[in-house]
Amino acid sequence: MKILVPVKQVASLDEDFVLGEDGAVSSQDLDWQLNEWDSFSLEAALQLNEGEDGEVVAVTVGDEQVEQNLRSCLAKGADRAIRVWDDSLRGADALAIASVLAAVARSEQPDLVLCGVQSSDAVESATGVALAGLLDLAHVAVVTGIERAGERLTVQRELEGGVVELLGVSLPCLLTVQTGINEPRYASLRAIKQASAKPLDVSSLADVGLDAGTVAAHAGSHTTQLHEPTLTAGATMIEGGTAEIAARIAEIVKGAMSA
Amino acid sequence: MSGVIVLGEARRGELRPVSLELIGAARAISEQGAGPVTVALIAADAETYVEQVNRLGVQEVLVVPTPQPQFEAHVTQAALEALIEQRRPSVVLAGHTIDSLGFAPAVAARGGLGFASNVTGASWGEQGLRAQRGAYGEKLIAELDFPDKQTVLLLLRPGAFAPAEGSGSASIERVELDLAGRARTEHLELRDPPTGDVDITKADFLLSIGRGVEDEDQVAELERLAERMGATLSASRPLVDAGWIDAARQVGQSGKTVTPKVYLALGISGAVQHLVGMSKAQTIVAVNSDHEAPIFGVAQFGAVADMFEVAAELERQFE
Amino acid sequence: MLLAAVKSRPIMWHMPVGLQVLWYALAGISVAVFFYGLARPLLRYRSAPRTGLPGARELPARIWRATRALYAHAAIARRDRYAGWAHRGIFYGWVALAIGTVIVGLSHDIAAPLFGHGFYDGDFYLACKAVLNALGTALIAGLLAMMLRRAVLRPGKLDYARPDRPPEQYERQAHAYRVGDWVFVGTLLAIALTGYVLEGVRIAMEHPGYDGFQFGGWLTAQLFEGAGQITLAAWRHGLWWFHGLLAITFVASIPFTKAAHMLSSYASMILRDPLAGKRLRKIEPELALDPAGYGTLADFPLVHLLQLDACTKCGRCHEVCPARATGRPLSPRDVVLELREQARAELPDVGGVLGQLLGGSGDGGEGGPVIGSDGVHADSVWSCMQCNACVEICPVGIEQAPIINQLRRRLLEDGELDGGLQSTLQAIHKSGNSFGQNRRSRGKWTAELDFEIKDARKEPVELLWFVGDYASFDPRSQRVTRALARLMHEADLDFGILYEGERNAGNDVRRAGEEGLFESLVEANAQLLGECEFQRIVTSDPHSLNTLRNEYPEFGASFTVTHHTELLLELLRGERLRPGEPLGYRVTYHDPCYLGRHNGGYDAPRRLLELIGCELVEMPRNRDNSFCCGAGGGQIWIAEQGGDERPSENRIREALELDGVELFVVSCPKDVTMYEDAIKTTGSGERLQLRELTELLEEALVRGAVGAGT
Repeated sequence: MKILVPVKQVASLDEDFVLGEDGAVSSQDLDWQLNEWDSFSLEAALQLNEGEDGEVVAVTVGDEQVEQNLRSCLAKGADRAIRVWDDSLRGADALAIASVLAAVARSEQPDLVLCGVQSSDAVESATGVALAGLLDLAHVAVVTGIERAGERLTVQRELEGGVVELLGVSLPCLLTVQTGINEPRYASLRAIKQASAKPLDVSSLADVGLDAGTVAAHAGSHTTQLHEPTLTAGATMIEGGTAEIAARIAEIVKGAMSA
Repeated sequence: MSGVIVLGEARRGELRPVSLELIGAARAISEQGAGPVTVALIAADAETYVEQVNRLGVQEVLVVPTPQPQFEAHVTQAALEALIEQRRPSVVLAGHTIDSLGFAPAVAARGGLGFASNVTGASWGEQGLRAQRGAYGEKLIAELDFPDKQTVLLLLRPGAFAPAEGSGSASIERVELDLAGRARTEHLELRDPPTGDVDITKADFLLSIGRGVEDEDQVAELERLAERMGATLSASRPLVDAGWIDAARQVGQSGKTVTPKVYLALGISGAVQHLVGMSKAQTIVAVNSDHEAPIFGVAQFGAVADMFEVAAELERQFE
Repeated sequence: MLLAAVKSRPIMWHMPVGLQVLWYALAGISVAVFFYGLARPLLRYRSAPRTGLPGARELPARIWRATRALYAHAAIARRDRYAGWAHRGIFYGWVALAIGTVIVGLSHDIAAPLFGHGFYDGDFYLACKAVLNALGTALIAGLLAMMLRRAVLRPGKLDYARPDRPPEQYERQAHAYRVGDWVFVGTLLAIALTGYVLEGVRIAMEHPGYDGFQFGGWLTAQLFEGAGQITLAAWRHGLWWFHGLLAITFVASIPFTKAAHMLSSYASMILRDPLAGKRLRKIEPELALDPAGYGTLADFPLVHLLQLDACTKCGRCHEVCPARATGRPLSPRDVVLELREQARAELPDVGGVLGQLLGGSGDGGEGGPVIGSDGVHADSVWSCMQCNACVEICPVGIEQAPIINQLRRRLLEDGELDGGLQSTLQAIHKSGNSFGQNRRSRGKWTAELDFEIKDARKEPVELLWFVGDYASFDPRSQRVTRALARLMHEADLDFGILYEGERNAGNDVRRAGEEGLFESLVEANAQLLGECEFQRIVTSDPHSLNTLRNEYPEFGASFTVTHHTELLLELLRGERLRPGEPLGYRVTYHDPCYLGRHNGGYDAPRRLLELIGCELVEMPRNRDNSFCCGAGGGQIWIAEQGGDERPSENRIREALELDGVELFVVSCPKDVTMYEDAIKTTGSGERLQLRELTELLEEALVRGAVGAGT
């Protein structure tokens, strides 16, 4: 079974970031890492293919510095990796990214696409299902369990309040995978170095048959401005040492409980 | 055409509360000039909910019956695509909920719609629709617009908008769409979460713990603290994923939604999925070592401190 | 009698030639069996990798050192003087009797046939008799003492109770060990006693007269007073054969029993790595594509296989292990013995018909994985704190901690590691520090100082201060770090730090088994350090100190590395810092594993305490016997693993036993974290407070400054 696993490198904002005058975030203030959800989807793919004559292909839309993350996917057991990039893609939203991934998926023809439910920085939760839409693939979002019997998958969909829906879906399809579905494996640094022997294909937009304009047309929104949240609903901060903080908390709790 | 279509959401015979929040938001942008509000109910038992969504400001309720009794993402997707095709609304509002996540992004991508998810603010002005959502893990707010988009589909974060009030005088229309054969998944069963020994939704005082907890032993310590304080212990998702705490105690989108008198959050940074489940608590007190933690945005009281040091002091306070 | 007049004794008294031939034949068989037994382990070693063996040139010095250590017996007597004296008696008695036997053999079987008479007579004979009687008695006393120890005193380290599995899973093996132990001492005792009885019978028959030289024999002879010559002669023949057969059987059995340690332990002492645990083994470039560490016995190099065979089950590592002492499922002894049993069961051995004439039977091959429910448990491997207490106390040079580290390397590569450790390693990989903080915030602790610290990357400095993760990021340790900065500033030192250029030095990354990450950290740090100009490195972190000093050189980066306690001592001695009146605290001091055991830094901290007027009360476990705080080997990143108590709490309880001690003094940032926590969790904050040595010194200086001002 060929499984395509789109992964993303997410940015976390440093504690004391400074917004530029143009409202832009300085790359200095960003820390990059593999999206937590994607380590679960990759693990799910690796487990599904364990002992099978299949292929797990990791794909990402990102610049050079993402390669380290792709190497770690390869080190964990992905067979190939694909990176697509064009500078026009910086800051692209879920739908634009989905259109690029769709181009890759059309040439790869996977039996299964496993995405993370969401990314921890943008929390759009949209790339996977948008990709399924573009490919016209059957899909299930927020999956917490996958069992396979031939061409048929039985999956668990996690609903609000912890209710779980069990449903059947046939390959080919796309699932977005929730955290906790498995225990992602560790990629040792030696394994990552050794994985440099595995194929990592770098493509431009043109290589996958797209151009900047087409991708931009897919974008769902345009960011006009970034700003810090206004603290209208912000908390009253309790200052002082731990003992004072605890005393004040005790007071607040007792007050609110007796109210 | 113009106007706002709101997608009501129901499960197991009950209208989900987010539906009323969507109507509230729709009414607000409608009053700003976005056009009339239409509520679409796509469900086998759609009729059942008509009265509940017939709120002030709703002009029309569309009843769209589906062939299968349960929600099925591909069927709803087809229905929504057909409605958009027929009505060409300026705005479609749905909840940022698990069900919507299963079809809305596909509808937007296929239809070339404007789209934003996890939206916390929306308004209509001269340039059309504008929306707000979090960025960089909620540390920043992004202001969005949707140039050149005829229709914009927004998924609104539950709890972020005031629910609609009053009763309306909407016309009711039944829309028969050809949805047979559109389902691509087969519903097998719904499983309720393990009930566990506690019902955190009934507790008045929750001591809730999160990622700040580093190992299982600490959970036991905090459980003792909760007992001493007269609180019920609850947790955010990572601790449930780690298997350190019962799923019945999970607060958030995939856990329980709680409304206690006091919610004391220790070491919870406040990911969106968590905030959804607890932002309605009466008094929220948060302790976190990161002063930028989003939970301070919903808490009334906050302290930047080591959760375990505070916990140790609290033990003394409640001796 | 005639023979008595020439002061000697007959060899093979009145023995028919036929029996003499039989005797030599049996002795020959015994020697053959001995060599057969010796060949077995050697064959197991044959196909093992040769990494870690000393070069031929080094060998004479190694042999000299091992022999000296053996005769001094200091290692065996350490922390167990009883066993030390008992073993001395056995060792010297055995050696003397063996030499005596060789002398008799040389005299009777070589000198006599060649020159017509032997040399085992006259004063030489008497001198031999005296020495052999004395040491024979020592042998018996030693054996009896050991038996008393096993039967009555029963120290816990000898009961073979294993912390890693329930008794029913190891009781059979433990029973076999106990039987083996008793057979060993029992056989030796029987040989020694029958020797005396034999001598007694001879004396009773012949009354040679010089009883003082053979007092042992004379004493037993009293038992036979009054017995007739014929009875005595029968006894004499019978005993001779009994004693002789026992002795040659014993010789034959040496390689197969606990007696093998006479050979294997000595060999292990010769091959022991002087830097064991201080410097872990590098993966050679040609093995870069192979799996790291030990997964099967085939991965074990000769040195480590030999060490498995060298274990005498003395239990010292079991006793000192902080994991074992706090109820975690690890005993270094059991790891060694478990691996040894596997090696004996699995690796190619001599096998049938002398292993097809010592060609090796070939079956067994690589064997299965050494880690698993039947072998060493993964839990045990992850319980180790890499504190080196086991390596340090082992009298025969076994490298328990480095072997465990090799097991970890493989487990980690197979993805069998704790989730917390996983995310910390990922954080270190990503941001260069174990706190997962942005690397740019590494120098943030300097912001609260009212002077600037030089950036050693931009200008030359005399002292390059390698700060380390905990000292840089942990809020409590930052207070110490700033205090150290103020002291160095006060002393007008020319020093600088690397700011965001510094990365985790890798000591604990390596000890957690993440060799690849360690290599990349070394590469980055070594490259940056290579670009800076400085005289020497100073650090307050013993972990960084250890790897920079002992491990970086193997990667081509050699520096002089000083611990801050040594630096501060220099400053006090050079009067660049002048403390005021004695502080007058009653304190105890905890030796950090990586400063003390790994690097011998015991004295500077104690001398400092003395110079600032603190009264040091030592904890029972001090200096080389210091008890790990529980943070080492990456444990500080691993979620709590159960056990009865935390090692740090165990240590704090030890300090609380001391009379009137108010301060618990440490000199390692990880200790600051661990013990601040343990003082809290044991609820002993009112009796005991934690101080880092630097803080005390600053306090003394402030008093000095106040004193000077008035």
